[in-house]
Amino acid sequence: MPHLLIHRSTITLPCFIAHSTPSCSRLASVGLRRPAQNRLISTATCVGDGNAANRTIICMANPRRVKMVAKQIRRELSDMLLTDKVLQYAVLPEAALGADRYLSSLTTISDVEVSADLQVVKVYVSVFGDERGKEVALAGLKSKAKYVRSELGKRMKLRLTPEIRFLEDESLERGSRVIAILDRIKDENERKVTKDQVYDSGEFADGSNDNVEWEGDDLDDEGIIYVK
Amino acid sequence: MAKAIPRTGSRRNVRIGSRKSARRIPKGVIHVQASFNNTIVTVTDVRGRVVSWSSAGTCGFKGTRRGTPFAAQTAASNAIRTVVDQGMQRAEVMIKGPGLGRDAALRAIRRSGILLTFVRDVTPMPHNGCRPPKKRRV
Repeated sequence: MPHLLIHRSTITLPCFIAHSTPSCSRLASVGLRRPAQNRLISTATCVGDGNAANRTIICMANPRRVKMVAKQIRRELSDMLLTDKVLQYAVLPEAALGADRYLSSLTTISDVEVSADLQVVKVYVSVFGDERGKEVALAGLKSKAKYVRSELGKRMKLRLTPEIRFLEDESLERGSRVIAILDRIKDENERKVTKDQVYDSGEFADGSNDNVEWEGDDLDDEGIIYVK
Repeated sequence: MAKAIPRTGSRRNVRIGSRKSARRIPKGVIHVQASFNNTIVTVTDVRGRVVSWSSAGTCGFKGTRRGTPFAAQTAASNAIRTVVDQGMQRAEVMIKGPGLGRDAALRAIRRSGILLTFVRDVTPMPHNGCRPPKKRRV
């Protein structure tokens, strides 16, 4: 069987252990402690140089498989956020009191990045709500990281359940702010155009979007400073 | 037209349905169904009668781009545009499903100037009913 062959070769190479590239050292240490990480080796493309001086063996999973795993993890985690009681209480503490139909903050998983060796998963979480809600949600998720990892292991069939890290995703907010500013600029331009037309025609017309946009102006003025 | 004898089986009296009268609805409900591949935004009144709807697919996006948050934003602003002119000020939002459209559509609604009264999550949850589809093997 192919993977057994490679396993034997990693142990018998004396100079392999001396090299300290992160993937290789992990592989070496794991290979010595317990039987081979079959998943890593059998599905991987092992690149071994012939030189005795520098032997770098990089065992990574197929990139297509990485994408599939990422997509599946995303589905499972979103499902867990929707259905799992423990996670919901962690994200939104008032759900424990029964106020789960009327939400103060909404947590969404916007992106999942899996490392090439399927060991580390970075989950980008976007929270809709005020500042306190965001902190509470993210802190709750981070505290439940181990629980989420065990649940994911139960739901998905993977050799090694990856380590899960939750990160805050600000891209949706930033995009929303940018679009708000662009909308405002567009409305200002339209207003200028209509004003010019009005002066030409000599009538006095009322601005159509005044009532909607004025409150947005005060908030977005602060937003302009923060947009990088 | 001369009044003809109504024959059974022919749709003489065609039901006009709800005429496009400008119903002044100050308060409405916005339903956002956000799946992984698409987002559908429906605006109804408090009783549930649909006023207008839009989705990422009808906004011109096709394929994988329908699932993106930007598509959800355009769908939401499209659906709300007709209603804002009719004078809707407050809205309750009901969100269904996982997907990026949840967040993006909410932000778009808030940006448009409509006051969000409540945000509810109405994802259908069986009390262990139908058997779910088989697990995907990765």
